[in-house]
Amino acid sequence: MDARADKTLRITTPSDFEIAMTRQFDAPRRLVFDAMTRPEYVVRWLGCDAFAMPVCEIDLRVGGTYRFVFRSADGIEHVLTGTYREVVRPERVVFGETISMPGFTSDEYLVTSTLVEAGGRTTLTTTIKHPTKEARDGHLSSGIEQGVAPAYDRLADVVAGMG
Amino acid sequence: MALDPLSSTFAALADPTRRAILARLARSETSVMELAKPFDMSLPAISKHLKVLEHAGLISRTREAQRRPCRIAPASFREIDGWLGNFRRFWDDSLNRLDDLLEQMKAEEAAKSSPRTNRKVTKLKVRATREKPRGRTRR
Repeated sequence: MDARADKTLRITTPSDFEIAMTRQFDAPRRLVFDAMTRPEYVVRWLGCDAFAMPVCEIDLRVGGTYRFVFRSADGIEHVLTGTYREVVRPERVVFGETISMPGFTSDEYLVTSTLVEAGGRTTLTTTIKHPTKEARDGHLSSGIEQGVAPAYDRLADVVAGMG
Repeated sequence: MALDPLSSTFAALADPTRRAILARLARSETSVMELAKPFDMSLPAISKHLKVLEHAGLISRTREAQRRPCRIAPASFREIDGWLGNFRRFWDDSLNRLDDLLEQMKAEEAAKSSPRTNRKVTKLKVRATREKPRGRTRR
């Protein structure tokens, strides 16, 4: 049999405006696509242990919208909303997304996910494109206090290279 | 400049030459001469970059050996990784759960389509019940 899927999450910053994530799964891409786009599946994996997901609504068609609400134990809500721009089952989905939390709503950023299947395994590549470098940096540091110099171009690459 | 340790780390990483030096050192420890080779820079210029990296705790240099080889100081990188950690942790957690879900989806799918499971029995039963009425209508 083939080697198992490489389940390491790789995060890189291919340009000043982008974050790219790559991850493999031991499953055909139609299953991965469904798991990513059907609410009954999404509630079962997206988010942190610390957050409940009381709302998960998806209208999967071009121009359709989705809304995910994550709620922390102390009641603070983070809301992800977006509009689908492209839906090509099971290989590609593109959407514009906004994240909001008390006192902050992001500009819209563009998320492109592509699924490539080989030998029963799927490689998912998700690229998040922000309108500005500052917004991209803010997304990467999500939740960490401000004030750290935004000076880590390709830092994720360097760190990953450290092994 | 009164910088906290993480700020001086990021200031050190802001320069592309210093990032290239780190990428080189990530492969193996190296002398200053070797490090300077790929860059169009004087040895003193390279030494200046190395001092910044050393001050930020990103590299260390042996005092004793004459050629003073440079090497990566892994502790600083763990600190940076912690800073990127929230984003990574969110997706690592999520995608690990997605792995579990996919295993369940695969198992459910296999249970539906595999002829080796209970399905075989039900299929045979279906065939048996189908054949009976067909036989009757022919008669």
